[in-house]
Amino acid sequence: MSFFNISKLGRSKSKKNQQKPLFVAQPFISATLVNGSLKKIVELPKYVDQNEWLAVNTFDFFNYINQFYGVIADFCTTKDCPIMSAGPNYEYTWTDNQKKNVKFAAPKYVDFVMTRIQNLLNDESVFPTKSAPGCEFPKDFINILRSIYKQLFRILAHIYWSHYDKILHLSCEGHLNTLFAHFICFAREFDLLDKKELAPMSDLIAELEYQMK
Amino acid sequence: GDNDSNIYVNFDRTPEIYGKMVIDKATAAKFRLEHFYKSQVSECADRLNRLRNLEGKLSNEMAPPDKMEKELFLLGKKESDFLRLRRKRLGIDDFINIKVIGKGGFGEVRLVQKADSGQIYAMKTLKKSEMVLRDQMAHARAERDLMAELDTPWVVQLYYSFQDSTYLHLIMEFCPGGDLMTMLLQYDTFSEDITKFYIAECVCAVEAVHNLGFIHRDVKPDNLLIDQFGHLKLSDFGLSTGFYKTHDSSYYQRLMETTGAPFDLDTVKAIDLSFTQKDRIQTWKKNRRAIAYSRVGSPDYVAVETIRQDGYTKEVDWWSVGVIMYECLVGYPPFASQNSPQMTYWKIMNWSEHLNFPEYSMSWAAEDLIKKLICEPADRMGANEIKSHPFFQGVDWSSLRTIRPPFVPELQSITDTSYFPTEDLMDIPEQVTYNQGTIDEMHKDLAFVGYTFKRFDYLSRKNAI
Ligand SMILES: Nc1ncnc2c1ncn2[C@@H]1O[C@H](COP(=O)(O)OP(=O)(O)OP(=O)(O)O)[C@@H](O)[C@H]1O
Repeated sequence: MSFFNISKLGRSKSKKNQQKPLFVAQPFISATLVNGSLKKIVELPKYVDQNEWLAVNTFDFFNYINQFYGVIADFCTTKDCPIMSAGPNYEYTWTDNQKKNVKFAAPKYVDFVMTRIQNLLNDESVFPTKSAPGCEFPKDFINILRSIYKQLFRILAHIYWSHYDKILHLSCEGHLNTLFAHFICFAREFDLLDKKELAPMSDLIAELEYQMK
Repeated sequence: GDNDSNIYVNFDRTPEIYGKMVIDKATAAKFRLEHFYKSQVSECADRLNRLRNLEGKLSNEMAPPDKMEKELFLLGKKESDFLRLRRKRLGIDDFINIKVIGKGGFGEVRLVQKADSGQIYAMKTLKKSEMVLRDQMAHARAERDLMAELDTPWVVQLYYSFQDSTYLHLIMEFCPGGDLMTMLLQYDTFSEDITKFYIAECVCAVEAVHNLGFIHRDVKPDNLLIDQFGHLKLSDFGLSTGFYKTHDSSYYQRLMETTGAPFDLDTVKAIDLSFTQKDRIQTWKKNRRAIAYSRVGSPDYVAVETIRQDGYTKEVDWWSVGVIMYECLVGYPPFASQNSPQMTYWKIMNWSEHLNFPEYSMSWAAEDLIKKLICEPADRMGANEIKSHPFFQGVDWSSLRTIRPPFVPELQSITDTSYFPTEDLMDIPEQVTYNQGTIDEMHKDLAFVGYTFKRFDYLSRKNAI
C-alpha cells in the first residue's frame, strides 16, 4: 500500500536537447569517501539474523538521509520546490481518497514521509528493540521496508536533482555519493527497490556501480 | 555514460553565501558520515574476527559438528542482539535517579542507575536552549563524536548520550572519589609529594588529550575527577559548558571593553598585604563553590593568550596545569581575587606582576616548574620538558596509574556519594524537571537530530549483551 505515485512526464522525448545534470559530470560523479567495493559492509554477516540486519541498516539510512536533507532543508521551500520532483521528467504525487493525484510541495512531501518513517522506526511492533522474547519483527516486514526504501530513494533523488548546487558549494558531493551508492547497493542486495523507481538516477547509478566494482 | 563522464566541469564554490548555520550543519553531517563509514568498516572487521576466533577455537578443540553449529548459532544470536541494541533509543526513563552529585555553570550531574542492567553512571544534563543560543551545536557534536572514540584511562568515558525536547543527557562513567576541587577545599594545601602525584597524573591526562588531537581548554580542579582507585580522570570536554564560557571570544571582548583597567592596582596590593596566607585560603574557599556553580565560571585557570584573544594552541592547557599546581601548594590560585572575575582577568593579563610565591610555600623545583608553565606561550614547557623537570624526579611515568594513590576513596557501596557536597545541592530536584508542554513537543530541531551515541565495546566487555 502506497500513497505516493511516480509519474514520468511525456514532455521531453528528445534527450539530446536536455542538459545533463551536474551530478553526472566530472569530477563530481567520481567523488567518494570510500575506496573499493561496498559489498563487504552490505552483505548479511554469517549467522546474523536477516531482519535484524535489515532493521539496523534502515535505521542508519534514515538517520543519515535525514541529516543530509537537513543540510539543504532551508532551501527546499514551497516556493522553490512547489512539486516533489526528481528532475524535469519525474514528479511524485499523492493519491487522495478520491483516487485523484495531488501534487505536493517537496518540503511537505518530505516532511510527511520522514515523519511516517520515523513513526515506523519508533513502533515496537514493526522495529522491535526490546530483548524480551516475543518482541519479533512483523510477518510483512519486508513489504514495509520496501515502502520505506522507495521514499528514501525519492528524497535522495530530489536532493540530487534540485539541490545539487548547494551540495557542491558545501563540498558534500563525495559524502552524498557514498551514502547514495551504499543505499543502492544495500537495496539491490536485499531487493528493496523496484527497477522502475531507479530511472531518474540511472546514469549516476551506472557510473557508481562501475566505479565500485 | 562514458562519454558524459569525460566532460570536466569547473564549479566555483562559495559556501560563504549560505551563512554559518548551514555551513555548520554541512560540516556536522559530513563529519558524522565519515565517522559512520569508519565504524562500519571496523565493525565489519571485528565481527569477522570474532567469527574466525570462534571457528579456530572450535576446530582446535575438534568439537563435534552439532556442538560447533550450536556455538556458531549462539555467536550469531549475540551479534544480532548487538545490532538490535544500536537501534534502541535510550531515554530518561531507562535511568533511575539516585542523587544529585554536582553542578556546573549550565548543567547538573546526577548519580543514576540503568534500570535494566543495574549499572551505575553519572548523568550530566544540559539544557538545549542554552546551547543553541551559543550556536555551537555543530562543533560540539563533532567533538562529542570524536570523544566517543577515545579510549584512554585518563579521560572520563562517555557511554551513551541522548536528548529529549529540552535536554541533552550524557551518561558517563561515575568517578566516586569526587573532584580535585572538593579535595582541595577539604585539605587547604597538599604536601609536595602529594602534589607531585596529582600534577603528574594531570600531566598524563592532558597529554593523552593532546595526543588525540584535542585541546581541552577547560582544565581546572572541578574537571579533574577521582576514580574508585584514587586515580585522576579528566572530565568530559567539547560538550562541557566551559567550552562556551571560555571560548566565546566576544565574551572577553565585552569584558575588556567594559572594564578596561578601572582598578587602582596599588590599592589592591595594599589590601593583599593585609591578608595572611591562611586568611586568603579561607576567603578563597568561601567563594570557591559558588564560582563553580555560576555561569561566568572561574577565570582563574584561563591562560593569558586566551584572554588576549591571541588565538590558542594546546599550550593553554599547560598554563592551567601550572595554576592548579600553585593552588595545590599555596591553597588558592595565583590570580585569585575576591568576588571579581574582572580583577582576575586583569591580573592574568599582567601575570608577571601578580605571580607571587608566598614564603616557605614550596621548594625551588616546584616554583621553577610553575614559572615555566605560567608564562608567555613561547616560553612555556611542553609535555616532554615538563616530565623531565626536576620537580618530578623519581616519577615512573609509564606506571603511574598502577601505583597506590595517596588517597583512595573508601566506599560503602557502588552508590556511595560521600565524596560529593550533596548537602550544597539540596535545591536541585532529584528528578530532571520539564516544563509543562515541552514533553510531547516534536523532536524535530535538526540541530540535534542524530545526537545519540552508544558505546559497544564496553557493553560487550561487560557482558551486557
Ligand atoms: N563522571 C562523573 N563522576 C562523578 N562526578 C562527576 C562526574 N562528572 C561531573 N561530576 C561532578 O559534577 C561536578 C560538575 O561537573 P561538570 O564537570 O559537568 O561541571 P563543571 O566542570 O564544574 O562546569 P562546566 O560544565 O560549567 O564546565 C564536577 O565538579 C564533579 O564533582
